[in-house]
Amino acid sequence: MIQTTEAKDQIRQYVLDEFAKTKGINQITDQEILTKNGIMDSMGIFRLVAFLEDTFKIRVGDEEITHDNLESVDAIERLVIAKSKK
Amino acid sequence: MAYVLQQLLSRSAKKYPGKEAVWARGRSLTYRELEQRSNQLAHLLREQGVGKGDRVGLFFPKCVESIVSMLGVLKAGGVYVPLDPQAPADRVCYIIGNCGIRVLITNQEKRQALSPETLELLDCCISTDQPENGNSGRMIPWSDLAEFPADRAPNGTSIETDIAYILYTSGSTGRPKGVMLSHQNALTFVEWCAEEFQVRSGDKLSNHAPLHFDLSVFDVYNALEAGATVYLITEELALFPTSLAAFIQEKQITIWYSVPSALMLLLLHARLTPEKLASLRTILFAGEVFPMKYLRQLAEMAPQADLYNLYGPTETNVCTYYKVERERLASMDKLPIGIACANTDAFAVTDDGRIARVGESGELCVRGPAVTYGYWADVEKTRKMVVPNHFQENFEEKMYRTGDLVTVNEDGNFYFQGRRDSMIKSRGYRIELGEIESALLSHPGVKEAAVLAIPDEVVGNRIRAVISLNVADSLKPLDLQQHCSTKVPKYMIPEFIDFHGELPKTSTGKIDRVKLKEETMAVR
Repeated sequence: MIQTTEAKDQIRQYVLDEFAKTKGINQITDQEILTKNGIMDSMGIFRLVAFLEDTFKIRVGDEEITHDNLESVDAIERLVIAKSKK
Repeated sequence: MAYVLQQLLSRSAKKYPGKEAVWARGRSLTYRELEQRSNQLAHLLREQGVGKGDRVGLFFPKCVESIVSMLGVLKAGGVYVPLDPQAPADRVCYIIGNCGIRVLITNQEKRQALSPETLELLDCCISTDQPENGNSGRMIPWSDLAEFPADRAPNGTSIETDIAYILYTSGSTGRPKGVMLSHQNALTFVEWCAEEFQVRSGDKLSNHAPLHFDLSVFDVYNALEAGATVYLITEELALFPTSLAAFIQEKQITIWYSVPSALMLLLLHARLTPEKLASLRTILFAGEVFPMKYLRQLAEMAPQADLYNLYGPTETNVCTYYKVERERLASMDKLPIGIACANTDAFAVTDDGRIARVGESGELCVRGPAVTYGYWADVEKTRKMVVPNHFQENFEEKMYRTGDLVTVNEDGNFYFQGRRDSMIKSRGYRIELGEIESALLSHPGVKEAAVLAIPDEVVGNRIRAVISLNVADSLKPLDLQQHCSTKVPKYMIPEFIDFHGELPKTSTGKIDRVKLKEETMAVR
């Protein structure tokens, strides 16, 4: 069973290190819309999904790669928790 | 014949008043509404002192107000300058200063990003969302439009040779340059498209490209010309392939225009089926090379659609085109950029100044009414690129040197070979490597910088920088990426940064980029 806070920390750290920091953004909130202001680009989305699959041993289908599922750290965490319960 | 762009709207508004003109983020405007709002905005702008030739910046994410703003500025006699809502403030502030923008249409969030010095330059801002009470500086709420006459535009005397908009593209000397486009430049292209693609009032056009990108000229103005509907695809929607495919199907888009990498994203990740693309009758792409492998896949996914490869820099908009011949697709190994558009002359000039013969390589040069006057407030750069046509001996005529090397093959088509300089394409964005090098060199710890384009099948090129530092180990890649993020748009930030003791030099003392690139490619 995935620990919620731990998963969220991992996701937030990954998004910060991989996407936000290189673009001059050093802090993000868990509600921040990642697709706004170009934090995440189209290639980044697929790198993020690969990271989620590896880290949390889940499988994210193409049809699940949507704005609603990936728009913020909170949304990503919800997706991860939902997937890992299945 | 229309001779200024706003006439395209006014004519369609008379013919199709109740028809949907533009859709974005779940909201839409009919032709009547678009005509009336843009009339009102034009009056408001006039009241704020905007007159003939004055530049008005548009700095907010895509929405229906974007289109109202473009038309409103033109009706006031002004010139609109679309500013990339995702660009760093430093770059946007530079552009505002460079072309002397004094009135800015923006929203509260974007306005806050601007420097105090830049705000000082502005006479007023018009806000697409309501300003908060007590906001400093002049913010005119969008709702003020209602106080101005809707039934007619202010009296105007715009003519076709007036500038309609300025599009800023990457500049090799470290600062973006403003390409000036006249009404005539744009209409030459729009009229060719209307004829070639037979755009009709029943059509639904997608607008995938950002509005500061010249691909959007087709989406917006050809929709207006035909009385069709344009659907603005927001940055957020463009990121998610399955959502985007669903959008095409749900909205029954009939004409699609984007960079190839957007189509490749759909092919690779959207679980496409021919049903999802069944509404598309025409698919246009431009901005970079479409790999044949993926073009063949696209042709299979959309068997009913006409596919066109369009080619041309911002300075000419599209100047050549190739209609994909499906029967040749299997055997073709390289996609041509095709032949010149109507009312445009394109020819390849060899290094010794002759017209290239079949099979010979030369620089593609373009003349005709689609060609830009040049770059805003940069006579020197303009003189280099928009040059006298030396084939015309009896009077003075200009032509534009694209900097692209092409060959003409026996099939009569032009084929793109490469660049003369260090401009590259990544995800369809035009990038001057020199602009990135300038950004890196502006960091006090950097001694030398060379930026390399590493070819990539899906995105065209990825950006790698090789750096030598004043003090070894004093900086990390992330430090420099963050520094770049304050100077250049996100798509120009180097993805990889390598440190090098001293950069290798050529015999003339320049950084040896060829050698660096060979080393980099060998390591990978």
